[in-house]
Amino acid sequence: MSPTRCLILLLAFIPCWSAASAQDVILVANKSVRITEIRDADLRAIFTGEKTRFADGSHAVPVTLKGGPAHEVFLRNHLGENPEEFRARWRQAVFTGQGAMPRAFDSEAALIEYVAVTSGALGYVSRVSTRDDVKYLPVTKR
Amino acid sequence: MPRRMLLVPLLWICAVGLRAQDLSSIEIHGFATQGFLYSSHNNYLSMQSSSGSLQWTDGAVSVTDSLTDNLRVGIQLHMYQLGELGGPNIQVDWASGDYSVNDHFGFRGGKVKTPLGLFNDSQDVDAIFLWILLPQSCYPVDNKSFYLSHVGGEVYGNLSLGSRAGKVQYRGYAGQVYLDLTGGYLKESADNGLIFTSAPGGKVYGGDLRWQAPLKGLILGSSALVQAVDGKGPEGTDHVSPFFVNAHYAQFEKGKFYFAGEYRRSPLNVILTLGPAVIPIPLDNRSWFAMGSYRLAKRFQVGAYYSHYVNKALDTNLPENYSKDWVVSGRYDFNSYFYGKIEGHFLHGTGLGYFQTTNPNGVNPNSNMLAAKIGFSF
Repeated sequence: MSPTRCLILLLAFIPCWSAASAQDVILVANKSVRITEIRDADLRAIFTGEKTRFADGSHAVPVTLKGGPAHEVFLRNHLGENPEEFRARWRQAVFTGQGAMPRAFDSEAALIEYVAVTSGALGYVSRVSTRDDVKYLPVTKR
Repeated sequence: MPRRMLLVPLLWICAVGLRAQDLSSIEIHGFATQGFLYSSHNNYLSMQSSSGSLQWTDGAVSVTDSLTDNLRVGIQLHMYQLGELGGPNIQVDWASGDYSVNDHFGFRGGKVKTPLGLFNDSQDVDAIFLWILLPQSCYPVDNKSFYLSHVGGEVYGNLSLGSRAGKVQYRGYAGQVYLDLTGGYLKESADNGLIFTSAPGGKVYGGDLRWQAPLKGLILGSSALVQAVDGKGPEGTDHVSPFFVNAHYAQFEKGKFYFAGEYRRSPLNVILTLGPAVIPIPLDNRSWFAMGSYRLAKRFQVGAYYSHYVNKALDTNLPENYSKDWVVSGRYDFNSYFYGKIEGHFLHGTGLGYFQTTNPNGVNPNSNMLAAKIGFSF
């Protein structure tokens, strides 16, 4: 990765780091996602199934980790839920015919791999990867 | 024959599973539960609960596929045995096509779950609740098919009212209801001498509006439903003119606390015709509950509720016209898939959950009950 790209990446994450705690996860999205930042309220709505689209109207495909610290941090910081509550919410949607559960992955590598090839995909990882076939989205509180 | 009936959906599910290798958007989920009831007096929910009964098994498999960004199709097959209710026959719980135009408007068609109050459409999904039995005043497990789902259509959507006014979720529907031939309502009719060979049913329409208030965790809502039921058997008929059900509810979640309450009223007149005899059964059902729970640990939750039912159309001093239930409950999640629950019930009145055939010597007005359940969901 070139020094310029590293600098751009670093600058892109300043709002993210200031908006959330230092322990927060980093949002990773497919390159087809046109938005350059995401409101915390929209992020919550997408991962709880209330919204199926980004602010620009394009289709959102939320993906999660199956468990682990990054999964718990993401749920706590952005959804205000624990893994049991999150699972219960989606089970309710699935078993009443009102939604399809977000695809869940065993590892961050597998999640990024899926995000890279899936249009509209949005997930989270614990640290920035060196891959340049995905984009990273800062979260804003407004 | 029942085994053959089980084989057909099983083979179908396997076939879908094989195809899933090519169609990665297909999702398969399911759950299975086993319950146990032990009551101090009376046999509850058509089970031999006074001797301790394990005759309560529930299971479902759902298959969904997102065909496009906007279109999703799916089906859920459900089987249950609750005492003398249900049986080995597999039922289609829901089967629908769902087209979402945008986040504000979408529609579903097929057999869809009916929204009524807080939990009507999700009452089958044991894995999401702390409780083994939901408040029976509003969600009678032996009689759930009365409102559970309909064949027809539904429109739905979310509307933002601005950052200071919260959001509204709406659902409106119309269709045809078919009662479960192996459910409690038809068992009660059979106990009275009226046996149906085809499922009674009728037209239904209604809606649900729930407001997600700006105060985080607070939801307020109301549901309304109009339904009619007609059935015909060799010995007679059952007629319920269109009646109006309304439900109002609130839910508040904060941290480890959860509170909810609901009030429902359903006045209806059932007219049974058995040969020359016409038997009117007036009902003015008033039901409410209040519940609260607390998560003691990551995997351990405790709670309590009070459920109240009374039939105001008849003498409310008689135990057969009311039911009051104090409940304490605990749930432990062993892992992401397995959980166990235990629950104590202190029942007063016999207005709900009792059948003549399983209580041939009559019923005691009060009874205590222990319930336990284990479940698996994926």
